[in-house]
Amino acid sequence: MVKVPEVDIDQIKKIIDEDKDSRWPVTPLVERIQEEVGYIPPQCIPLIANAVGLFPSQVQAVISLHDQLYTEPRGKNVVRVCRGTACHVRGGKAILKAAKNRLGLEVGETSEDLEYTMETVSCMGLCALAPNMTVGQKIYGNMTLLKVDKVFRKNEGET
Amino acid sequence: MQPINITLDGRKVSGSPGMTVLELAREAGVDIPTLCDDQYLAPIGACRICIVENEQDGVMMASCVMPIAPDMVINTQSQRVLDHRKTIVKLMLSSHPDSCLVCNKGNCCKLRQIASDMGIGLIEYQRISQVSPIEDVNPFIERDLSKCILCAKCIRADQELVVVGAIDYFKRGFDAKPATFGDVPLEQSECTFCGTCVAMCPTGAIMDKGRSYHGTANYEVESTCAYCGCGCSISLGVKGNRVIAVTPGKNGDPNRGTLCVRGICASDVIHSADRLMQPIIRQEEDFTAVSWQDALAAAAEGLKQVKEKHGTDALAVISSSKCTNEENYLLQRFARGVLGTNNIDSSARLVNAVNRTALASTVGIAGANNDLGGLAQSDVIVVIGADPDASAPIVAYAIKRAVKYNGAKLILIDPRETGLSAFADIHIRPYHGTDSVLLGAMAKVIVDDGLVDGRSVSKKTNNYDALKASLGKYTPDSAATEAARMYAKATRGSVVWGTGLTQSAGGVDSVRSLINLAILTGQTSGLYALEKECNDRGAFGKSWEADVSSKQGLSALEVIGQIEKGSIKGLMVVGENPVLAFPDSNRVKKALLSLDFLVVQDMFLSETGQMADIVLASSSFAEKEGAYTNFEGRIGTLNAAIDPIGGSLPDWQIILKLAEAIGSPMPFDSLRQVSDEIKALAPTPKRPTKFDFYPITSITSPDDTSKEYPYKLLMLSDLYTLGNGAEIAYSYRLQKHASEAFIEIAGDDAEKLGASGGEQLNVTSPVGELVATVKVSNSVPSGTVYMPMALPSGSANILLDITLDEETKTPRVKTCNVSLKKVAVNG
Repeated sequence: MVKVPEVDIDQIKKIIDEDKDSRWPVTPLVERIQEEVGYIPPQCIPLIANAVGLFPSQVQAVISLHDQLYTEPRGKNVVRVCRGTACHVRGGKAILKAAKNRLGLEVGETSEDLEYTMETVSCMGLCALAPNMTVGQKIYGNMTLLKVDKVFRKNEGET
Repeated sequence: MQPINITLDGRKVSGSPGMTVLELAREAGVDIPTLCDDQYLAPIGACRICIVENEQDGVMMASCVMPIAPDMVINTQSQRVLDHRKTIVKLMLSSHPDSCLVCNKGNCCKLRQIASDMGIGLIEYQRISQVSPIEDVNPFIERDLSKCILCAKCIRADQELVVVGAIDYFKRGFDAKPATFGDVPLEQSECTFCGTCVAMCPTGAIMDKGRSYHGTANYEVESTCAYCGCGCSISLGVKGNRVIAVTPGKNGDPNRGTLCVRGICASDVIHSADRLMQPIIRQEEDFTAVSWQDALAAAAEGLKQVKEKHGTDALAVISSSKCTNEENYLLQRFARGVLGTNNIDSSARLVNAVNRTALASTVGIAGANNDLGGLAQSDVIVVIGADPDASAPIVAYAIKRAVKYNGAKLILIDPRETGLSAFADIHIRPYHGTDSVLLGAMAKVIVDDGLVDGRSVSKKTNNYDALKASLGKYTPDSAATEAARMYAKATRGSVVWGTGLTQSAGGVDSVRSLINLAILTGQTSGLYALEKECNDRGAFGKSWEADVSSKQGLSALEVIGQIEKGSIKGLMVVGENPVLAFPDSNRVKKALLSLDFLVVQDMFLSETGQMADIVLASSSFAEKEGAYTNFEGRIGTLNAAIDPIGGSLPDWQIILKLAEAIGSPMPFDSLRQVSDEIKALAPTPKRPTKFDFYPITSITSPDDTSKEYPYKLLMLSDLYTLGNGAEIAYSYRLQKHASEAFIEIAGDDAEKLGASGGEQLNVTSPVGELVATVKVSNSVPSGTVYMPMALPSGSANILLDITLDEETKTPRVKTCNVSLKKVAVNG
């Protein structure tokens, strides 16, 4: 079970204050909160709703419409392994398994220390480098089983 | 504007710009099936059933959202259109369970009806069921989202009509569903169980929750809700001799498709197992059921004996706001003509007398002088001493709609935070009882800033100089100044006030100060006096105005005093339960016990009935004809939906029969004759040519708390328990939902008392005491505590005392001073 970290409500209030007067404020607002906090804490939904003159259920409706807006805590590093056709034929499945083993996470799960979230993507458009994996904003192409461990070690060394 | 001509199914028709194809088709008598369309909701084109084809370009479009354009050629019935419609319905059915046979909405389901109209039987598509657990923890609404077709009627009803915002779409694609914030069950959400979505839902996804499967109503009877002063139009769905469902009325006004939880629970009360089936007579300690003949003879004998022994003035009659206009009229004729006493009053005085006095002495009207449509169009609304969310839900809906969708400004004046706080532009929280000072200060701002409507004030009013002189003593603060300016500058300002104003000390003066403001600014067509019980305005109004005798009789509360003094010996109570409804329960009980003769007409054996010599079993509103007058002054008609239950009789018939038994029958055979006589006798209201300002000369200090009783207790309006508790006691669903007796208390006060939420407090007033559970709340000011009047068992009125206002003969049924003490817990 992921421990829900304490949310800095003041930080969120500040974001809301700054962005609430733009013309269609909900989507950009929740995007910015997700960018800065890592996810959209559900307790900030009533604040957003109040600031933009909507009901909390309506703000939730907007958030739930987009698959990439999250209301649950996410890891600092989102690991995405490609399951597209090109990556698949070049061993993407094994890369995914290796990554899952290395992190001890199933797809969709977040590690307890909020370091990693495990995901798959359908294609990154980098089929020439297949199989592919991304950690955060960094892309790793031509993955091998050996490289999986290396990538994570490197990542942990840096952070 | 130029009409637009289009061709519809080969016919030339014309409509006005802005009309949709669906609207024009309906006007032209062309039937297009719809599922997500509703007359009260903005169209969104969600269900696509109403698709039509434009012959020119072959485009298929949803007619409900397609505006007409010149020279369109529309086909509504071509093979292509019909095939598409069929596909859409089949797709809906392919994820809809086959449980029609055991679905309460089975025979009135719009989806099923449309499918059968189109001749759709078995579906050849692969079934993809939307698995969803049935949500039925709350006692009012059952949600089975496996039957949902995502037409969003419930969502739109919730957001556009009742403006609660409890639900919206959640997720998308196959996972999409209407959900509350956090996807919690309804009872944990903002939902108020108003039932508006139940009536609108075209399938069985949202259903009224009964005790068991009850099937579909055989027919519906239009009537008027008998709970609060809103007088909503309702449809009673009848099966056999049973009302199985209550839905918003087809006639529309005043509630226009909405309702509230108390309305939908009316069927519980009608069919409560506690109903009296026969008249009963006291024999020593117990009651025995008797025939009507015996009961009426005994009642007549009892009243006659009191009359012979003590004279006619020893008799008194108390009627109720639950009785129809006709019954109230009959009763007062009965009292004056048959019994020969002028001691006839209605419990409606507790609510209505202050408004009537204040309004008559200023603008010469009897109650609210505009309807809800006018309120919704206001651009500035002042709400003072009222929590319409609880006391008059449809008024709250109208205010919220005006604020949210029409950009109206809301000025809320209430010490407590209410459901309207979130909608308010200005929320002033005065100390309880200082309303008239605040309103005086606002008047001063208006005069000082030159915002007075000069022309109408100089031509149409009296007393302006006296008013001006009386304003010198006020010193407006910034909030009062801002509010006064906002109200004075409105093009269409409205004021809404409720029992927080009228039932407090100095209520008449507060209402007069408020009306002074309206006259000053020329906003006299937006006065909304809210009432509490269903026929407060009618019971105390029309039928009373048709005065048969001029001698002043005793008012309802004076009767209690006179019983104590021994000058009243015989009492007849109709449809009222003074033990719970009047202040100081214990004193009222004692007084009633000392009577020689007490006859009660009631649906139930109430607390008052238990002290009676005879209780005559009367019928519910669903079993009789008549009319209620709602707070707007609108007459709502009652139609008998079912035959009287058991051996009960409508109140008006009982009164007529009793008169006959006494030996002086009244000259009426039907209710029609009664209403005709009322019409003939009631004076036509005269519109006054001039309004009177009513200067408030004295300011009384409102803080009369003492060391012994340091807290001010205010009676709170609560949605589920409003009124004197009769409904809550006999509706199993409201009973199930009601929390225990609670008292709302500010955080710092709770700390002082060492009590935290959920603990028990002893609440003691000079006249009574009770135990209530603490609810710590940020919304109440410190020093003030709130509790609802009707408690799950009994009533908080045992804390109140009977101090009558000189002018209106009304008690303060809103406040008293109390002391609080934590209940010691053993072990």
